[in-house]
Amino acid sequence: MSGGRRDPSPPASDPGAATPAAGTPTLDAPPHVMDPLERTVQRVLQAGVAVSFGLMLAGLVLALVLKQPLTPRVTPVGDLGTGLAALDSAAFISLGLIVLIATPFVRVAGSLVAFLCLRDRRYALVTAAVLAVMCLSVLIGKS
Amino acid sequence: MTTLVAVFAIAVAAGVFGSMLGVGGGIIMVPMLSLVFGAPIKVAIATSIVCVIATSTVAQTRFARRGMTNMRLGMLLEVATTVGAVTGGVTAVLIQGRILQAAFAVLLVYVAWMMNRRRGDAVPERTGVLEDTYFDPALGEQVVYGCKRVPLGFVLSLAAGNISGLLGVGGGAFKVPVMNLLMGIPLKATIATSNLMIGVTAAASAAIFYGRGYMDPAFALPAALGILLGARFGPGLAVRLSARALGLTFQVVLVAFAVLMALQALEVLL
Repeated sequence: MSGGRRDPSPPASDPGAATPAAGTPTLDAPPHVMDPLERTVQRVLQAGVAVSFGLMLAGLVLALVLKQPLTPRVTPVGDLGTGLAALDSAAFISLGLIVLIATPFVRVAGSLVAFLCLRDRRYALVTAAVLAVMCLSVLIGKS
Repeated sequence: MTTLVAVFAIAVAAGVFGSMLGVGGGIIMVPMLSLVFGAPIKVAIATSIVCVIATSTVAQTRFARRGMTNMRLGMLLEVATTVGAVTGGVTAVLIQGRILQAAFAVLLVYVAWMMNRRRGDAVPERTGVLEDTYFDPALGEQVVYGCKRVPLGFVLSLAAGNISGLLGVGGGAFKVPVMNLLMGIPLKATIATSNLMIGVTAAASAAIFYGRGYMDPAFALPAALGILLGARFGPGLAVRLSARALGLTFQVVLVAFAVLMALQALEVLL
């Protein structure tokens, strides 16, 4: 496994690079500097959370305004389009949940790209394996 | 409507604690939903899984900004936990769920006792393995640490994934002590990394629960909305609190969780 060898290029492993001019750390200005890719993944996750929150909130408002009772089941993926077009609250809530469930997949895929960019082949492989198992479980769930 | 508001309120609290301790909100959500709100156990577990993902994603956006998540460590152990989660069904055939719950309850009490006996946090040590660094505002200094006993941590992560795949909860409560006590990772980095891992493990099973129709919008909606709000505050608390205070809170949660598990195993609950 990851034996005694040092990792080739840890992103923030050099304390000198991450520490600000000695001794003036503040609570609100973390010294950690994110690289562009990390920031992109971050933005995608934040967008995912916002979109998911918005969709679920829209579903709730629709249910309250149109007096639709909340159905006990989520909308099957295939019926989402028609449900959304028909302003069905369950479809909005379901899509919100799907977006939320998808965020960890985006997180792992983002790390995979990050390790590839760092030319860290070992951890790119490890991350690809995680993504593969995640996708496998989706397939298992379908059957 | 009252159920909606009550589930939302509990989810906010679960989001704060779950993200602060790196255990996800499942510990609170599953018993609450099934006992207080009468949700069928599979619906409770499915809702809890959504909560864990929400906690993980929101917490990640907070912790990553501070560079506290050890990405390499997280991904390495995640190979084991996801495989463990997928094979949870195999274990279910071999061992009765109640026996597993009872064993898990005993294990959690033991872990809480170990954490209490050691007092204080893991002492950061440069081992040259999976090293990382972060800034700790409570200490006012940059912490550099390496990992110990990686193979053992890997094997135990397999068990953690297996348990969470089987019982729907418990992954984080087991992963945090493994990383902190055995692998020598400081508690704050452990919590940040665990927050990443629980979401990845949960996402694998979430798709299964969604496909089989166990997600009930009446519970999942208020729970997810509540967690998305609550989980914004936990990471800030985790970063600012002393490791000692965090450790004590964690021990209390472990013991409470153990009691719940034991009661379920004895079929007093659920």
